[in-house]
Parts: sequence; structure tokens; C-alpha cells
Amino acid sequence: MNVIASRIPAVRKPLTEIDLCVWVGQAAPGDVLEYHRGFLALDTLTQGARLAERERAELARVAHRAWWAASRGMIHLVQRRHRSDEYSYLAVARPKPKQASISLSSLLLAEAA
Amino acid sequence: MRTSISRDDLHILLHEADVAARRLVRQLRLPRADLDDVRQDLLADLIARLPAYDPDRGALGAFAGTVLTNRATRIANKVKRERRMYGAMPISLDEPVPESDGLTRGDLTAEADGLSALFGQPVDAFAAAEHRLDVERGLGSLEPADRALCAALSRTTVDCLAASGHGARSSLYRRVKDIRLALTAIGVRAA
Repeated sequence: MNVIASRIPAVRKPLTEIDLCVWVGQAAPGDVLEYHRGFLALDTLTQGARLAERERAELARVAHRAWWAASRGMIHLVQRRHRSDEYSYLAVARPKPKQASISLSSLLLAEAA
Repeated sequence: MRTSISRDDLHILLHEADVAARRLVRQLRLPRADLDDVRQDLLADLIARLPAYDPDRGALGAFAGTVLTNRATRIANKVKRERRMYGAMPISLDEPVPESDGLTRGDLTAEADGLSALFGQPVDAFAAAEHRLDVERGLGSLEPADRALCAALSRTTVDCLAASGHGARSSLYRRVKDIRLALTAIGVRAA
């Protein structure tokens, strides 16, 4: 845990969905990103008063995108408890999954046909 | 008004154009190779304006001089404008570079220093091939419907797709936003 904690970058401003996507796209295997600190389930609640509406909506998008990336095998999602109701939500980069490439020429020809 | 031109008059026009072209090339310090182009430009303008020449108002040489001066001023302004835009004196790519074994400037200029690079076009063939591979890998990770949308957007716009019944405009933009995020997460950088 200490190893991971020392590699967590300092969070200066709330992460946005595109920030997370850029990090996922560029991270080397093993890189760690804290994409939220708090209690995600509560912080994303519409009725919750922990965050302003705009921040809550962005956090929900970030959390959804992190889940999406994990389901695609791009990252691991882990969390670290600091104290009651306060967690670090961490994304750990995985080796890039091998995707079957699609021929751009074939795709464009099929579209033109 | 004049409809025909005699041999003597043609000689006057050619001579005036030649003098004006040499003067302009010298004043602007243009390459010697540009002399013929400038002369042709001046002469073409002069011939186009010849029907407006009235012998009662003066000699043909004077008329030609006035027309050529005006045209030369416009050419000079154009050249100065281009120099201000690019911040340098134009030089010919065919000009041999001193002490370089007969090589021209074109031979020694890298593609990355060319006009294409100046206007932001890709010049690195290897980078372009790698980008294409990245795009193909990214497309492979998309749903088939999203792939088809990407291909369609390579030749048309969201508005046109919406108008041709491929879905609501807002829905298409939402999908495009989602595709961009997915491609970014896969590591495909924006073009």
C-alpha cells in the first residue's frame, strides 16, 4: 500500500472525464491515478449535499468512465480506506489489451458503397 | 478605341514591358528566374487594357508606361505582403548551395521544413503510418455501429446525417462525444 501511495499523483483539481481518458490512454502498466477521494456512492447521489451539482455530475461521469475502462481490461479499480467514509478510489493501468484492428480502407470503402 | 495592333506598336509594348519587368525585379531583389514571369504578368495586363488606349490622348508608349507602372505597383505590394507573411526573402529551391557538391536548396531542405509543415499538414510518413495503425486499432475496439458512424463522418457532417434520417442530431453528437472519449482512452490522439 505504501508503494502505491507514494506513486499517487497529487490531485490539484477535480478530475474530468476527458482527463481520465487521456490518462488511461497514456499510462504505462502499473501507473496509479486517484480519480476520487471521498465516498463515491454518497458523492454521486443526486440527493446528496456533499458536492455542487456540476461537480457531482462530472464525478458520476468519471466514475462511469472508470468502470467502463475497467470492463474493457484497460485498468484495475481499487480503493484504499483512510478513515470512515473516506476512501481513495484508484485506477491502476494495465497492459493495453490487444484489439483486432479494422482496416480503415475497407471501412471507408464499405461506407462509400 | 483600338482593335488591332501594328508590328511597331507591338515592339513598343514588348520593350516597355521588358524595361518595367527588369526594373521591378531589381527593385524587389527578385531572383533572376522570376524575370520572365513578371514580364509575362505585366504584358498580359497591358494587352488586356489595350482596347482602352485612345491615340488622341497621348502616345502608346506613355499609355503603356502608365499601365505597367500601375501593374508593377500591384505586383510589388503582393510580393511585400507575402514577405511580411512569411517573414523572409523567398529563395529558389533549385538554387545550388555553395560548396555542397552541386546540391540545391531543395535537396537539402527537410520535409519537416517545407510548406506542408508550415500549414500544419503531416509530413512524417512514419508518424502518419503509425497514426493510421493506431486509428485502425481504435476502430477495432468500437461497436460496429460506432465504426460505421466514424466512417460516415469521414465524408459528411452530423447535420447531414441527421437530415438523412440517421438519428437525431443531439443523439449523434452524444455518440460522437462518447466515441472520442473511448478513442482517447484507447490511446488514439486527436488529429
